[in-house]
Amino acid sequence: MKHDPIVIEETINAPVEKVWQAITDKNKMKQWYFDLKQFNPAVGFEFRFSGTGRQGEKYMHRCRVTEVVENKKLQYSWQYENLNGYSLVTFELFKEGKQTRVKLTHEGLETFPQNNPDFALESFAGAWTHIMSKLEHYMSTQINIAKN
Amino acid sequence: METRRDVFQAIADPTRREIIGLLAHHRLNLNAIAERFDVTRQAVSLHVKILAECGLIVISQKGRERICETRLEKLSEVNEWIGQYRVFWAKKLHTLKIFVEQEPSEGRVRAKKNISIPKKIKRK
Repeated sequence: MKHDPIVIEETINAPVEKVWQAITDKNKMKQWYFDLKQFNPAVGFEFRFSGTGRQGEKYMHRCRVTEVVENKKLQYSWQYENLNGYSLVTFELFKEGKQTRVKLTHEGLETFPQNNPDFALESFAGAWTHIMSKLEHYMSTQINIAKN
Repeated sequence: METRRDVFQAIADPTRREIIGLLAHHRLNLNAIAERFDVTRQAVSLHVKILAECGLIVISQKGRERICETRLEKLSEVNEWIGQYRVFWAKKLHTLKIFVEQEPSEGRVRAKKNISIPKKIKRK
């Protein structure tokens, strides 16, 4: 089953350089993202951080920087230790006057194992999917409202 | 009838979905949430209480204010991996926006940039 990538956009009232700092400087990243031991916006740089699954189990995220265009684009792989699957996270920054539009794309999430309850896409009934899609739709309209 | 307290119940109600939507982007105190709805403050307070019992939001006391914040990780219970990621990234990007916009380092960012700009060597 092929899924469209997740695409989320936010317009930030700040210059691209400042946003670039926020997504590449580990001291700034920890304020809104994850607390990484180290981060270096250079192709080949690898980093990891842990996240928690539904039963409290730890998932170690493993990432490797795959593309860097200063003040424009940052892309890294997003994988989990001991799990198959490969996804890619891309941050793109667009200068819009004095503002910056951030476009985040996360693709390949469907490649994660389907037999793991945390990753199961098809495991639950249609009615429930419907409720979720309504919720997601609501979220996305809220994002648009917040943007305008 | 036994009262259920899980995410299924939490998002079954439209007002509660709206509250989650509001809180996905901002931490708000109870009064600020109540102001956005046409129902009574008591009704909103009850919805918030249910959401907290379901683990979707946490309420913390800050002085006289009760601040509500989402814990959308809980939505993983519905096993909707991609949907959960959409919410995750929407929330992260919004946090990024708030962080960058309130960061008082405009001067520092400029100062940093200037490090590479001075060309004193040329004058000598």
